[in-house]
Amino acid sequence: MASQGGWVGKILRVDLTTRKISETSTFDYVPKFLGGRGLGAKICWDEVLPEVGAFDPENRIVFATGPLQGTLAPTSGRFMVLGKAPQTGPIESFTRSGVGGHFAPELKWAGYDAVIVQGKASKPVYLWITDQKAEILDATRLWGLDTYQAQQIIWKLHGPKTRIMVIGKAGENRSRIACILTDTGDASGQGGFGGVMGSKNLKAIAVRGTGSVAVARPKDLMEIIHTVQRLFSRKPFRGNPYQPEEKDFKYNIWGGGYGRGSLSLLPGELLDLCSDPSSGYSQNPDGCFACPVSCRSHVKGPDIINGVAFCAQSYMYLETMVHQPEKGYSKITWQAAKLADLLGINAYELMAIIPWLSDCYREKLITEEGTGLPLKEIGSWKFISTLLQKIANREGFGDLLAEGGQRAAAKLGGKAEKFSQMYYPRTGKFGGYREHWVYLGGFPTGYAVPTLALMWVLDNRDAMVSHSYISMLWGAAFTIGQNALTAIPEKIFPILKPVMKAAFGSAEAAEFFQRDGKSLNWQWTAQVTRRYHEYSLLKDSYVVCDILFPYLFNANTPDHVGDVGLESRLYSAVTGMDMGLEESFQKGEMLSTLERALAVRDGRTRQDDILHSLYFEKEDAGGRKYLREDLERSKSDYYRLMGWDVKSGTPTRSTLERLGLKDVAEGLGRKP
Amino acid sequence: MAKEVDRRTLLKGLTLSAIGIGSVVAFGDLLEILTFPNGQKVALAKAVIFADKTLCSGCRICEMVCANFNSDGRNASSLARISVEKEYLKGDYQPKVCHQCADPPCLKVCPVTALQVDRQTGTYARVIDERVCIGCQKCVEACQRYFQPSRPRFDLQRKRAIKCHLCFGEPQCVKFCPLGVLRLERSEKGLLVGYPVMREN
Repeated sequence: MASQGGWVGKILRVDLTTRKISETSTFDYVPKFLGGRGLGAKICWDEVLPEVGAFDPENRIVFATGPLQGTLAPTSGRFMVLGKAPQTGPIESFTRSGVGGHFAPELKWAGYDAVIVQGKASKPVYLWITDQKAEILDATRLWGLDTYQAQQIIWKLHGPKTRIMVIGKAGENRSRIACILTDTGDASGQGGFGGVMGSKNLKAIAVRGTGSVAVARPKDLMEIIHTVQRLFSRKPFRGNPYQPEEKDFKYNIWGGGYGRGSLSLLPGELLDLCSDPSSGYSQNPDGCFACPVSCRSHVKGPDIINGVAFCAQSYMYLETMVHQPEKGYSKITWQAAKLADLLGINAYELMAIIPWLSDCYREKLITEEGTGLPLKEIGSWKFISTLLQKIANREGFGDLLAEGGQRAAAKLGGKAEKFSQMYYPRTGKFGGYREHWVYLGGFPTGYAVPTLALMWVLDNRDAMVSHSYISMLWGAAFTIGQNALTAIPEKIFPILKPVMKAAFGSAEAAEFFQRDGKSLNWQWTAQVTRRYHEYSLLKDSYVVCDILFPYLFNANTPDHVGDVGLESRLYSAVTGMDMGLEESFQKGEMLSTLERALAVRDGRTRQDDILHSLYFEKEDAGGRKYLREDLERSKSDYYRLMGWDVKSGTPTRSTLERLGLKDVAEGLGRKP
Repeated sequence: MAKEVDRRTLLKGLTLSAIGIGSVVAFGDLLEILTFPNGQKVALAKAVIFADKTLCSGCRICEMVCANFNSDGRNASSLARISVEKEYLKGDYQPKVCHQCADPPCLKVCPVTALQVDRQTGTYARVIDERVCIGCQKCVEACQRYFQPSRPRFDLQRKRAIKCHLCFGEPQCVKFCPLGVLRLERSEKGLLVGYPVMREN
């Protein structure tokens, strides 16, 4: 059946070298590749060959929306940035990065499902897209400005309703950890795509659209929205936006332990100020486009940089809380994160770099004189501002850090490299947030969960940013009055069982260690991970937010079973093409295999699917260990399930053909 | 601030509506018949949407629900009868709703009386009869003199003006707003709000 809605039908291609702007039909790629991550993967398969480096003009940067963007579908403000990513390592390879905010709907309303940027401009430019046309405009005056200033100037030129993806100094200087920012804090961080924009001399993409996106079954869509809203949120109680009207209601994000605007500020100086109306500081829930929850907060005050607070903003510079314990989360903590936003540095990576520098300094591997950083004062404003400025401008030691923590550590080598492995579970993975690591509750104090280990080895970026799986584990912990860090696995198994049965087809899969409590249970790992990858691919291809979808865990019902069919129902309502759950899993499988083929073509083999040895050496909080041979067996199981060659991890020809990826099979076959 | 304005408006509304209602009662149907163009009095709306911007998270679900519901599934901010004006850096989000003015400038300028008072659903909302509208955009211009942005908007594709009609008495934006920013105020006596009681800019 032909599509009656969803996609707007055109992909914009901009060649900055020749300044040629052209259009292709989205329907060359969809509905087969859905949109977002699937669409981007196919475009990169066709156009970005292995020999192309991330900073080469030949690299593509694809801004891809899916069928749901620009519609009422919940969290449809998300979209994906894809291409060959400078942050991946040791070989640069294809990866993806999701962004929220309000950019994606504007792009759809302007008439484009995606934008492909290639080539390199001879001088700084920005791209202006509005109602079915695009222009390459001079950005000499924007170059060197911070992300807020650049946006303000563009708003002056093109109106305040324009939405902008912009890079800061870090991106201009081709940092491998540069992000692309939109509005006041939403950013595409993972992968370092800010550096790719910088390498193309592209400062910003500005979009304004007055068109519309057709929805095939508007009434169905309203019904699903109603369901989704009832599941995830309630109207607030007496004008306090943070408290639901129904007293016992739990917002169904992060397993229900946190709620609306909850990822905002941690307790401390700044939160106290915000709670006092006379102080002039305030925080309020802030929603991405069409989001029923609004998990972020907009924080403002007279002497701080205004903007949205998300987990990265909250957790980036916790060293301040050690430095000035009496203040807790202080203005400095906030300003540090905002400075990273202004300079366009990925705050996520800094969560690894800062503690790593601290380790290295403690062990006398680096000195204040050698680095030019006030390492004695980690936690102070002086330290973070010097560090960020040096990274953004690639000055001295900052030049090395601008390559990302892993590359910097590899350069220093020896003990420094060993220390960095605490923060980067595998080669080529990016630093980040402790709770995303291979242990439930964070490495090295949490609990080993085999599925998490397998997810980590198979991905080339933070594998946990499809939050649903860990949210489910957290949710079970919250249910028994524990939290993510103190969850005791034995106690959460019974809660997880019905949930895992519904979402992954097996109740036993919930028991992630053996009855004796001594060794891990790897039996279900491959099956669960496979399904998890399918969910995650689908979620990124319809493009909905990973904080809400897939909806695995319901914090408000006794059995806690979620509803994994929400996304495919949304897709059916918007496009008018029915998509069953099973059918959607097949699509997920196909896209998963396509991504693997891309990785393989870039040089990935079974040997690259590993964790650092550190993760096999340490015991978890329950005295259990990841064993290398278990992980290897589990990998084999996974490859077999996916129809990939067990020895090399390469998708076989017959699998690719079965999935309708004949051209990919031929392309892989030609590989020397 | 917004609360402040709301309260003031309401107080004014109450005093003035006392006079207004007097005449409604006195003239009854006669007054309603006199709701046609050129400075004549118009029966007060019996329902109106109020917004408390201090709660607004700027998610724009209201806009999308409106467009989806009222424009046959054409989802677009430009087709929404409610519009969220956002100042991103300041974190200042203001949902702009149609006030269903006591003395509606849009209704009075319509040359073909496409703009009418919706008595059928009992909301007395000022609505546009799409079958009658000729797309001259006079209502848009008229509103713009007092309110920014203009509450009636122009549907470029269909060449018709569109405007908030309170969704036949059950406004979808109010129903779906996840933060309870919007509420529907009803009064059988009629609400004296919007122009000329309240103006922006």
